[in-house]
Amino acid sequence: MVGEKLSSYLFILPALAMVVIFLLIPAGYTVVVSFTKWDGLGIPKFIGFGNYFQFVRDHVFLTSLRNTVIWVIFTLAFSVFLGLLVAYFVNRIRLANLFKSLFYIPLTISAVTTGLIWLWMYSPDLGVVNTLLRLLGFPGRSWLSEVPLNTYAMIWAWTWKTVGMNMVIFLIGLQTIPTEPVEACKIDGATEWQTFRYVVFPMLRTITTVVVAMSLINSFNIFDIIYVMTDGGPYRSSETLAVSMFRESFVLFHMGYGAAIAIFLSVVVLFVSWIYVREVTKREVHY
Amino acid sequence: MKVRSLIIYTIMIVLGFLWILPIWPTVLLAFKSNQEFGIQRFWQLPSQNFFGPNLIKAWNQAKLGRYFINSLIYGLLGAWGAIFLSSLASFSIARLKVKGAFGWFFVIWSGTIFPFQIYLIPLFKMYISTGFYDTFLGMSLFYIAICIPFCTFIFRNYFLTLPGEVLEAAKLDGCSNFKVYWKIYLPLSRSAVAVLFLFQFTWIWNDLMFGMVLTRSASVRPIMVGLAQLQGFRAGSGTDIPSLMAGALMASVPTILLFALLQRYFIEGMRLTTAGE
Repeated sequence: MVGEKLSSYLFILPALAMVVIFLLIPAGYTVVVSFTKWDGLGIPKFIGFGNYFQFVRDHVFLTSLRNTVIWVIFTLAFSVFLGLLVAYFVNRIRLANLFKSLFYIPLTISAVTTGLIWLWMYSPDLGVVNTLLRLLGFPGRSWLSEVPLNTYAMIWAWTWKTVGMNMVIFLIGLQTIPTEPVEACKIDGATEWQTFRYVVFPMLRTITTVVVAMSLINSFNIFDIIYVMTDGGPYRSSETLAVSMFRESFVLFHMGYGAAIAIFLSVVVLFVSWIYVREVTKREVHY
Repeated sequence: MKVRSLIIYTIMIVLGFLWILPIWPTVLLAFKSNQEFGIQRFWQLPSQNFFGPNLIKAWNQAKLGRYFINSLIYGLLGAWGAIFLSSLASFSIARLKVKGAFGWFFVIWSGTIFPFQIYLIPLFKMYISTGFYDTFLGMSLFYIAICIPFCTFIFRNYFLTLPGEVLEAAKLDGCSNFKVYWKIYLPLSRSAVAVLFLFQFTWIWNDLMFGMVLTRSASVRPIMVGLAQLQGFRAGSGTDIPSLMAGALMASVPTILLFALLQRYFIEGMRLTTAGE
């Protein structure tokens, strides 16, 4: 049975090797690169924490950090909130399935396509948004070149894409809620808001944590839609950390600095994930 | 009571309108000629159906057809490759009593926790120096690798829910480990396979960043890179917008189809990943 014992390790080996070679070693190497000044071609020069100190002096980085925070906060405010709202209301109206499909469609198309669609929606002359505004007697705006309007315009495009996902998860959560307490509330004459606030929402806590964490992590990593819609412009005003990392590394070839941004981003995301895992496991103990 | 449902209907109809607003004019746009696009309002119907010519233009001149086939191959190879390798590893980790099973699992799973930016620079350098850069093989291997951690997470949890007696019985009958995996455990996990195929194929199909960094020539580039490069709104270089939209619609067909066919499994997958059942 030595062969059988050996085979069980051989089963793990290919997957493990792939992950280590293509993901974990590169991740470790990025840490090393982040301590160097490197144009990607010559010999990297060790500069210690130089790249990290550079962050506070670099106004592009600071803008990018601020934009990332705006993305994170407003995706929570729009996408998670609307996802919950839609999930809570959709089963109480006629044509519920039609409405669900409507919110479901954007999640089946890519972020790139979403970006292309909204690029056209926001286009200054022929775009749908400005055409509608002018019909209603308002002046059109250049949505993607005014700062900070461009960031909010892109956040709305992202909201359009992601509400369906949050709706699906909240619908799963709502299914697991027992109906008796909700019925009891109605009989006792609680208002809609009271029922939701004191009965339904507390029971949705675990699933809400999941949605919030997913939304946080996705918006920290936001890249595709910005790359397509503004490419971080005009004048690098709408970049987020992920976009800055890409531009510094593969357009300007400041690979050491790009690596430092990647590490900074990773530390933030890992910290958020850690809090999330801690919250979820803590709650499971209480059940 | 009446007021309440009136409010709910108002909210839902307003949201429904906002959600359909981008879809309808975009679809319409793909059917217009470039000239009509310049003079018509967005709700006006095209004088005749230009979808065919638009698509052919995007398909041939912009080489979207080539990119489309590339991504189809990456999606199929990447998703199936990752599903095979990770289910095999998970079978061993969950069921074969290997030493340090959780440790192995943890190492593989840790590939899901970092933002993708952390892999880019070293991968790029590694690919250039090993000759994997701008090759089909290099892209396929990378896509398999990036999908393995999540697949392993799902398969391990799934295999742990299957009863262990099956394995004992089969081994008493003289089945090899691989045969038990191939003939019993893999067929039993059909729904996990469906979920993962949907998720991973979609991920690979929609990938923009790695395609941009790891490839250069049209014969290797994936579809989203091709699409992203087509847009010339920003530069104002007079891109043929209707044919771009026709191309974008066509590029969405595989994932829309997958989601439509595997909708049940999508819900199931979200339940697996979010509710931790």
